[in-house]
Amino acid sequence: MIHVKEISKVFRTDEVETTALDKISLEIKEGEFIAVMGPSGCGKSTLLNILGLLDNPSGGELHFVDKEVSRYSERQRAGLRKHNIGFIFQNFNLIDELTVFDNVALPLVYQGIGKAKRKKMVDEALRRVNMQHRSKHYPLQLSGGQQQRVAVARAVVSNPKLILADEPTGNLDSQHGEDVMNLLTELNQQGTTLVMVTHSESDASYAQRIVKLFDGAVVGENINQPKVA
Amino acid sequence: MINIVGLALGLTCFILITLYITGELSYDRHHPDAERIYRVINDADFGGVGETSTSSPFPLGTTMAQEYPNMIEAMTRIYNNWNTEYFVEYGEHHFKEKNFFFADSSIFKVFDIELVKGNPNTSLVEMNTVLITESAANRYFGDNDPVGKMIRLDERFHFKITGLLKDPPSNTHFHYDFLASMSTMRAMYGLRLNKNWIWNPYWTYIKLHENIDPEALKAQFPTFVDKYFARGENNSKTLYLQALTDIHLHSALDYEIETNGRMSYVIILAAIAIFMLIIASINFMNLATATSAGRAREIGVKKVFGAYRMQLIVQFIGESLIISFIALIIALVCVEIILPSFNNFAGKNISMSALLDARYLLGLIAVWLTTGILSGLYPAFYLSRFRPVKVLKGTLKNGAKSSNARKILVTVQFTISIALVIGTLMAFRQLNYLRNADLGFKKDNIIFIPVDHTPVSGNYDAFEGELLQNPKITHVTSLDYVLGVDHNSHEFKPEGFPDDEWQFYPTLIVREDFLKLFEIPVLEGRDFNRKNKTDSAKAILINEAMVKHMGWNSNREAIGKKFHSRVGQERVVGVFKNFNVKSLHSDLTPLVLNIKELEWERRYFTDYVVVCYTGEDPKVILSYIEDVWRKFSPTRPFDYKFLDTELEKLYRDEEKLGTLSAILAIVIIVVAAMGLFGLVSFMTEQRTKEIGIRKALGASIERIVGLISKEFVWLVIIANAVAWPLAWWMMSDWLQNFAYRTSINWLLFPLAGMITMMIAMSITGYRAWVASKTDPAKTLRYE
Repeated sequence: MIHVKEISKVFRTDEVETTALDKISLEIKEGEFIAVMGPSGCGKSTLLNILGLLDNPSGGELHFVDKEVSRYSERQRAGLRKHNIGFIFQNFNLIDELTVFDNVALPLVYQGIGKAKRKKMVDEALRRVNMQHRSKHYPLQLSGGQQQRVAVARAVVSNPKLILADEPTGNLDSQHGEDVMNLLTELNQQGTTLVMVTHSESDASYAQRIVKLFDGAVVGENINQPKVA
Repeated sequence: MINIVGLALGLTCFILITLYITGELSYDRHHPDAERIYRVINDADFGGVGETSTSSPFPLGTTMAQEYPNMIEAMTRIYNNWNTEYFVEYGEHHFKEKNFFFADSSIFKVFDIELVKGNPNTSLVEMNTVLITESAANRYFGDNDPVGKMIRLDERFHFKITGLLKDPPSNTHFHYDFLASMSTMRAMYGLRLNKNWIWNPYWTYIKLHENIDPEALKAQFPTFVDKYFARGENNSKTLYLQALTDIHLHSALDYEIETNGRMSYVIILAAIAIFMLIIASINFMNLATATSAGRAREIGVKKVFGAYRMQLIVQFIGESLIISFIALIIALVCVEIILPSFNNFAGKNISMSALLDARYLLGLIAVWLTTGILSGLYPAFYLSRFRPVKVLKGTLKNGAKSSNARKILVTVQFTISIALVIGTLMAFRQLNYLRNADLGFKKDNIIFIPVDHTPVSGNYDAFEGELLQNPKITHVTSLDYVLGVDHNSHEFKPEGFPDDEWQFYPTLIVREDFLKLFEIPVLEGRDFNRKNKTDSAKAILINEAMVKHMGWNSNREAIGKKFHSRVGQERVVGVFKNFNVKSLHSDLTPLVLNIKELEWERRYFTDYVVVCYTGEDPKVILSYIEDVWRKFSPTRPFDYKFLDTELEKLYRDEEKLGTLSAILAIVIIVVAAMGLFGLVSFMTEQRTKEIGIRKALGASIERIVGLISKEFVWLVIIANAVAWPLAWWMMSDWLQNFAYRTSINWLLFPLAGMITMMIAMSITGYRAWVASKTDPAKTLRYE
């Protein structure tokens, strides 16, 4: 599904040049659940942003469902993104001014899906994360765990092929964290490809494969015997 | 940077306008007794026709001072025959002098006029003596002492200079270069002047004794009028006292010495100045807080390392004071640069030195401190409140409350901008209307030659004959005023009124061919006839409005009606079509055309010779006229005015107002645009994360721009909704100043709305575009 070939990312400021990713190659197959691990600053989030088409690599090739996308413009990337990729962030990134329902509906709005169909899809997504009773609430009225479940609902609402999760449990206590991990595993079992960046060995243990990054390079990969939800 | 520019711009306007206003309010206040000095003015009303004259008959002042010595401390009259230009010579040097006045020697008792040389008690007593100001003396005598020198007036009268005057300050309602002794007047006109209660070109000022209530004197006026004014006139005459300090801003009456200012403009400008200052400070504050998010980290770190909240507040207010001080300095430099052109435009002589006045200086410092502290206060308290941990973690969430206040402010700014744009467009529309309006007489290809006090006025017929030799000169006539600019009132005894009562009507003293030259049609009866030698004493022409005013049923009925003037036994021989004898500020009035009978009167009222010519090039005609002029008046400089140019000058005030409101509209739009920029920046700053999320979820740039702009579209729509009725009300009020006015064009409203909408949209659009361009990967990063 995603084929990463010798990708690099260099950040430049006036004086300093930082290599965040150094010729990384990676193959992500459809239906896989991959955990990316490594210490702070090793390039995990940068990799995730590139995989999520939020950012372009400085060099190398990126094949996303058979298309070479590494030189795509922001407009082209946005087009691909909204139909194929869902995001889950450590700090949830819900819009405080919108209700739970509207937050979840946002990707559908941008895909131009009609109101009636939208409602059906949002209700379904909220049901999947068990948050349908909260659809009229605002994010600030929810606990962190609930907010992340809403974020998960938003990520899955348009049935994307790929979900990228950036430290999805980083801001949650262990109980809520486990809930979210179980939810993600469930999604994976239903066929969604998952790439998750995490610090947590415990979270990583849910994945089928663990990619270890250090100083912008892949230093190891192991096949994991995933926990079963 | 943008906030310094905005504040400096606001301060520049504020300082300029306040300098102007301070100047306007200071008129005539340099006389220590200004509060006790009044001008005697009078209202004459003859059944709705008449005048409100700022000048009085010759004997009025002296008689009043004699009658009420316990109330009036001093009296003086000032005369220049209603703004005559006198021809003054000294040796080789000669100039036309507009500011040559005759004055009673008591002028020094009424006004505080400084004599550099001479004696205030004696210098202006004797006949044929004159005082001269320093700058006028410099024109004639250079650095030599003028005192004792003889000058010549109109090639006939000789005056001895008996003193040197300091130049009058610019902020006075009358500016003199010469003050000649009033006793000379008495010699010129003889004893009859003292008995003439009708001819009223003498501006009369009185100074009351201390603690005298002007109302007490006013109460005496009806008795005074009854006792001294002629029968008939005394029924229609009312005397008033006009405070000296009210003249400049509150007086727009007949026969003013100079055109005065208008209080309403001062009030409008004051409102704009204050508004400008408030807006500039608020925008400054807005921008300061808008950029505060960028400084949150700095504050967080400072707090972590032990800064007290007070230290941070002091830091912010200090910074703000420094920035506003820089803005103030920039503003002062701008004022210095702009002032000459501003003076030129406003016709004033304002100098930066007015800023050194202690009160003004203190005011300016107060403005600086207020702006600086207020602008610093909000960010200071707002930012210093940040919890360092939250700030450093990046989870700071700004309150949305303040953005509502900001929205209101921006809406108000746009409301004013829109109203000003509409006002400007309307002002120019009205100006255009005035300039192109049909006045009822021909105004192109007409030259006015001022001949007052020249040999030509006494030698009219020969002069005219010589001019008419040129085939390109079609008609020649004479007038006592520039047509369409002004007129005087004269006394008549029309049919149906008592034989011993004079009625005063607006009148032009003309010569034959007046109607032909100006192409004014005769509706009934006949025009003056050159061949008819008795016309000057027996014929009078009136306009339709006069027919109506007299209550005659038709133009035909008016023909043959008795209409005696002081000397002639006139009857109405013709009725002509109405035309606008004054600017379009005033309505059509009844009007009489009269030819003077007596030789001295004919000379006296020949103020202008009017020439109508054909052909494209006036230069040829002018040089021909000048040649003729040289023959008749070899010693006098030749001067001329084109009628169309003179008529345009009537609306110079409106033109200035239009230009001023255009400039202010642009400045306010710029300031409002900056305010909007601040607001949009603030709001996009706050919504950075949201924009990032939306983009991550696939929102296009257009959608983001639309999302942010949408709110501002509403603000501009609301601003329009408020501005339109406001502008409509403002404009209909302003148009009341004109008897003739254009309609309010409704298309101007959406036009102004569209202009502001476009400006607002390009700013928000640009800012939103910049915000939406930022990579979501950057805004969502949290590591």
